[in-house]
Amino acid sequence: MSIMNFVLGFAMLIGVFIFQTTLTGLNRKVTARLQKRYGARWYQQFLDIFKALRKDSTSHGWVFDFGVIMALGGIMATVIFIPVAGFQSFPGLDNVFVISYLLAVGMLGMAMSAAGSGNPWASIGVGRALTNMLAYDVPLMIVIFTLIFAYDSSSLSELSAMQQGMGILGWNAVRMPLGGIVAVIALLGMLGKKPFDSFIAPAEIASGPMVEYGGKHLGFMFILHEFMTFIEVSIILALFFGGGATIWEYMLKYAILYTFTNLISGVMPRFKIDQAVKYFFKLPLAMAIIQGLVVIFTGLGVTLWF
Amino acid sequence: MNLAIILAVTLILAAASFFITKFNKMAGGFTTVISSLFAMVAVFMLKGSIGEDFTIFYFNFTITTVGWYFSLVMLTAYSMTSFFNPYWMDKMMYPGSYNFMYLLSMAGTIGIFFAQDFITLFVFWETVVWSSAFIIQQGKSRKATYIYYVVSAIGSMTTLFAIMLAYSSSGTFIISEAFKGLSGGTAIAVFLTFIMAGLAKIGIFPFHVWLPEAHGNAPHTFSPVLSGGLVKMGAFVAFLSVTAFPAYEVFKDTFKIMGTPAPIYFFMFLGAISIVVGTLMAIRQEDAKKLLAYSSVANGGYILIGILMLDQVGFAGGMMHIVNHAVASAAAFLSIAAVAYRTGTTKMSEMGGMIHRMPVTYLVYLIAIISMAGIPPMGGFVSKWLIFQGLANNGMIFLAAAAFFGSIGSFMYVFRPLSAVFLGQTFTRDLKKKEVGFFMMFPMLILTVLSLLTGVFPNIFLRVIAQIQTSIGIDPITLAERTIVTNNGYLDALRVFIVFGFGFAIAFVLFIVRRKSRKVELMDTYTSAEFIHTRELLHYSHRFYAPFERLYENAPETMTAYKKLSVKIEELGGLAESIFYGHKPEKTVFWIMAVGIIALLIGGVV
Repeated sequence: MSIMNFVLGFAMLIGVFIFQTTLTGLNRKVTARLQKRYGARWYQQFLDIFKALRKDSTSHGWVFDFGVIMALGGIMATVIFIPVAGFQSFPGLDNVFVISYLLAVGMLGMAMSAAGSGNPWASIGVGRALTNMLAYDVPLMIVIFTLIFAYDSSSLSELSAMQQGMGILGWNAVRMPLGGIVAVIALLGMLGKKPFDSFIAPAEIASGPMVEYGGKHLGFMFILHEFMTFIEVSIILALFFGGGATIWEYMLKYAILYTFTNLISGVMPRFKIDQAVKYFFKLPLAMAIIQGLVVIFTGLGVTLWF
Repeated sequence: MNLAIILAVTLILAAASFFITKFNKMAGGFTTVISSLFAMVAVFMLKGSIGEDFTIFYFNFTITTVGWYFSLVMLTAYSMTSFFNPYWMDKMMYPGSYNFMYLLSMAGTIGIFFAQDFITLFVFWETVVWSSAFIIQQGKSRKATYIYYVVSAIGSMTTLFAIMLAYSSSGTFIISEAFKGLSGGTAIAVFLTFIMAGLAKIGIFPFHVWLPEAHGNAPHTFSPVLSGGLVKMGAFVAFLSVTAFPAYEVFKDTFKIMGTPAPIYFFMFLGAISIVVGTLMAIRQEDAKKLLAYSSVANGGYILIGILMLDQVGFAGGMMHIVNHAVASAAAFLSIAAVAYRTGTTKMSEMGGMIHRMPVTYLVYLIAIISMAGIPPMGGFVSKWLIFQGLANNGMIFLAAAAFFGSIGSFMYVFRPLSAVFLGQTFTRDLKKKEVGFFMMFPMLILTVLSLLTGVFPNIFLRVIAQIQTSIGIDPITLAERTIVTNNGYLDALRVFIVFGFGFAIAFVLFIVRRKSRKVELMDTYTSAEFIHTRELLHYSHRFYAPFERLYENAPETMTAYKKLSVKIEELGGLAESIFYGHKPEKTVFWIMAVGIIALLIGGVV
């Protein structure tokens, strides 16, 4: 571990921020076209973030500020661990459990800050967000567990490298189709896309956790959202779609996967939070367990293609 | 240091504390602090004499690494909690007996972990159960004591039966030899009954009913010991049931599920059920202490699964989870006790915004729950990571599903006291409340540092566990200088921590360089154009996860099932009474004769 690792990590943060924010901007246009609007310019997302950072803000006490810093800090640390097309700023630290639980530090920070604002809307939103997390994470973790059992590795970069070199047939989403479907549905839940967006429901609970933020706090939350999106899409991309051999392949696949979730989101209504739990604990959970049993007892999906 | 001296000094101080308290309550409380700190340091120094045997009167002891490990965990919980005792003396019904029982139960735990034979173990075990029962009844509810005692008694009597059964075939009570040569039906019977005391103590389903009652209603200064310490006695019995009773060897020819013999898998499955039940019940509690008690049920499930795996990775995870949960749970209970010291309640809907009054207590609770929920960089993450790796090695998908459910569900329940007690609006009643004094803050800070230490330098603890693994003849966990290596990948906790610090530093700098924000009052929030002037009304804490709770509000409850069972037994008794003791005496005489003759006949045949 040297200074170089930290420099690379910092560079990666900048790169990821520019890439993901651009993509978010483009996707705002995609969603707009889906709804027969013209949509904002592709760089509107950048303008929004920098405008928020420049404005005055109000604070509800030290935990309100501390939570924001802890959230962004935790999420940025997680981004640094994500392997992109074979590149890692800190090689060997891309354990899938570390990444998915380090992500929780950021989420805890955000929840803490939001609840610290003293606004009941925020608390309701946080309660829903945590419930939503329980709903999507259990099926997803079972599928990830299956992958670890099958390939004897819990490193994101190793798991994605194993899928490369065989074209689409190497992808886990194809070898383990049930698991792949569960992962994509869980991704919708992770990203808070419709139909699983009840925790930020703007018209119902005044944007939930985000209700009290303004100025630089809101700017931080925007940045955090971009990073979080990157982490979540990257995990699914690396585990089920083979990551990418080159940076261009990675970016292309990433853009397609992310836009796909937006297209679904654009045409969906919203689940109530208990409906979301019921939904995830029926079909996706059953699919995840069936996929797990198939892999554990028959080895189908692991050996078939070799 | 000799074990005899440690036991003698703690017992003498225990008796002394009773009389000291009669003269000066505060001084009596400080006796528990001095005595428990002495015991902790003295036991720590026993490390040098591992392998030595002691005999004190009729009791035989042997110093083992695992005993040393367990009793350090236990004494950490005791000594840290004891710092609270002097300040709570006025709130106790019988302060003298509290101090006496506190130290007596502590001395009892030392005896359990270093016992060489089962009689010693059993005597000290019962000492702990009895003395802690007398402490629990000084809390809010007497019923809690009954439940605690009945469940403990069921466990210990069953275990006593197992010990006697083993004695009848092996002829010895020495722990390492008593189970030699068991086979067939006897072996299964001994295993199933021996582990019962462990299950009852650790709070595994269906014995979990005593935890919320006892932890929730015990004096605030004893709940941390119950959850952080005494529950771990159960883990020790579970440990003995797979090592002293070599369950994997005895059952190597029985039916196997995922490579694990069915009787062992059955108990692991009970552990998984405990995780799910504990998590679901914790989510819907309204009392902070009961919530933490149910979280102990769930964490007990992890510990049991880990220990019963008895392999290189999962076992190490289970053993390490004992430390992590002890430290985190003691810290969480202590911080709730600190809040209760100021506000006088542990009901979550009656508090709010305590962070603005008690910031240090808040940080202690925060670090504790980060560890309890298994989030890096705290210790809980390392042990849960090891347990997950162990489960993944064996492909135990259903246990893993429960483990994941408990792990993510724990985010939900640990966040509730955080949000309801510490965050949100401060109640008008509490606006003038102050932080607790340094003497109470000190143990909480120590436990917080320990949580961080287990998370950043886990190898300090894992090296001891590796020694335990070697001593029981399984492969020790692979440790490099800083990293933990498993066949599914490795973990470098220090580097994860440093990178986390790096991310935090960037965010902090970014926050500082932007324009300073204007501080506004907590009531100054967006309320959809309503005018709300009552702080209490603007605090969302009651039934926090109502939509989720509704999904399982009609699920059957264990306690209700027990109550129904007790009614049925009573009815059965009534039936027997009506048959045997009717209005006609000749009928009674007939039945006594009939039963007597049948018993004699069966006795003759057998």
